[in-house]
Amino acid sequence: MTFLYQAITAGVIAFAVWNLFRERRLAEQMGIALVLIPLLLRVLMIK
Amino acid sequence: MSAKGKTRIGTRTGLKDNANEKMTSPPPTEKNDGKGRSWIAAGVLIAVVAAAVAISAREFVAMWEDPPIYPGPGITEQFMLSSIAPELAGSAADTEVYVLDGDSPGGTLLILGGTHPNEPASSLTAITIIENAVVNEGRLLVIPRANHSAFTCTDPQEGAPQTYVIETPGGDRLFRYGSRATNPIDQWPDPVIYVGSSGQALAGAEVRNLNRSYPGDSGGYLTEKLAAAILDLIRTENVDLAIDLHEASPEYPVINAIVAHENALPLAVEAALFLEFEGIQIGVEASPINLRGLSHREWGDATDTLALLIESTNPAQGRLRGAINSELILEGADPYYIRAAGQGLLYVPFSDAGHPIEERVGRHLDTIAMLTEIYSSQHGDQPIRISGLPTLSDLSVRGLGTYLDPSIRETDHSPP
Repeated sequence: MTFLYQAITAGVIAFAVWNLFRERRLAEQMGIALVLIPLLLRVLMIK
Repeated sequence: MSAKGKTRIGTRTGLKDNANEKMTSPPPTEKNDGKGRSWIAAGVLIAVVAAAVAISAREFVAMWEDPPIYPGPGITEQFMLSSIAPELAGSAADTEVYVLDGDSPGGTLLILGGTHPNEPASSLTAITIIENAVVNEGRLLVIPRANHSAFTCTDPQEGAPQTYVIETPGGDRLFRYGSRATNPIDQWPDPVIYVGSSGQALAGAEVRNLNRSYPGDSGGYLTEKLAAAILDLIRTENVDLAIDLHEASPEYPVINAIVAHENALPLAVEAALFLEFEGIQIGVEASPINLRGLSHREWGDATDTLALLIESTNPAQGRLRGAINSELILEGADPYYIRAAGQGLLYVPFSDAGHPIEERVGRHLDTIAMLTEIYSSQHGDQPIRISGLPTLSDLSVRGLGTYLDPSIRETDHSPP
């Protein structure tokens, strides 16, 4: 079950990074970057 | 807006407009520059994210390291809980068990500290026992970090510090302030509704609460495996008296109290009576029969042990407090609780003096001493006699740090 949730989190990270590069507005890009921090900490099983 | 969208608008407004739009459209090189700029910004933000993750990861990973415990003169053996429950081996739930054997045989007492690591008097009492107690008769088992995994994180959205420091004669000593529940990185995800091994239905997050997971399940969630292992310890060591140390917020009705399984009620009532004679007001609560999953209920139902839980006062875990910081954790003074006390909202008195850690640990130690004394008088063939422990008045005069001095442990085993 944990691996499934890690895979879902990794998928969300991939979409977020894709959107980060596709997005033209800096404010939106900063929002995406903020979202990435807790997602990365969780997928790495640090927090 | 995409180029395709612009063409559709142009079509609606006529060929002339469309032609004008084409003439005013930015040249292809500018378009590429805009895209390039956003890619540069994305790259910079990725670097910032990586730096933020690296810095915060370092702090979180530092919490995985246990602050040292210095075994005192009474320690005769130490083992890991996984030696009884191999399913815990290598997991964050595996934890140390300290053994203090007496000179002569008697009863066996288990003391559990750190079931909820956001209740510091619990683990500090257990550590004070490990570092100071000597057992004269009987056997004492102490688990200072019962939910070891919960010491490696703090509760989300509480703003709690990761550590606090107690001054000792040998220098400052760091202790970990943890979470009420198992670290989610060790047990994740939570179910929506948690129906525990006891059959009790609870909110999903309680799946990581050790004191809702009894009697446990060696094949279940990590916290249930831990609960099952503690119950196995009680069975294999033939524990006669088992005490789970806790703290409660001042607005919680079960506070400054002993919660007792019905088998242990006479013992708890007598101890409370004699504690009152000594000036320590403590209540007695019967363990509710229908509230399953808690230590005082499941230990007593599943084994012959006399199961008890003790609560002291901890404003740092309440809802009416200000910011949680080391001062609040150790001094237990909070202006908002003083106001709440004035409005009659609390179940304990609350003044400027607060409820310092010396008072909370001292109450636990005096209650344990009284319980063992009365147990020994009731079970003459299985006494449990412990010496070397400070009392509430000792702690009030000398401070807790005096009894947690690592320099004494390194050089001399005599109690301070």
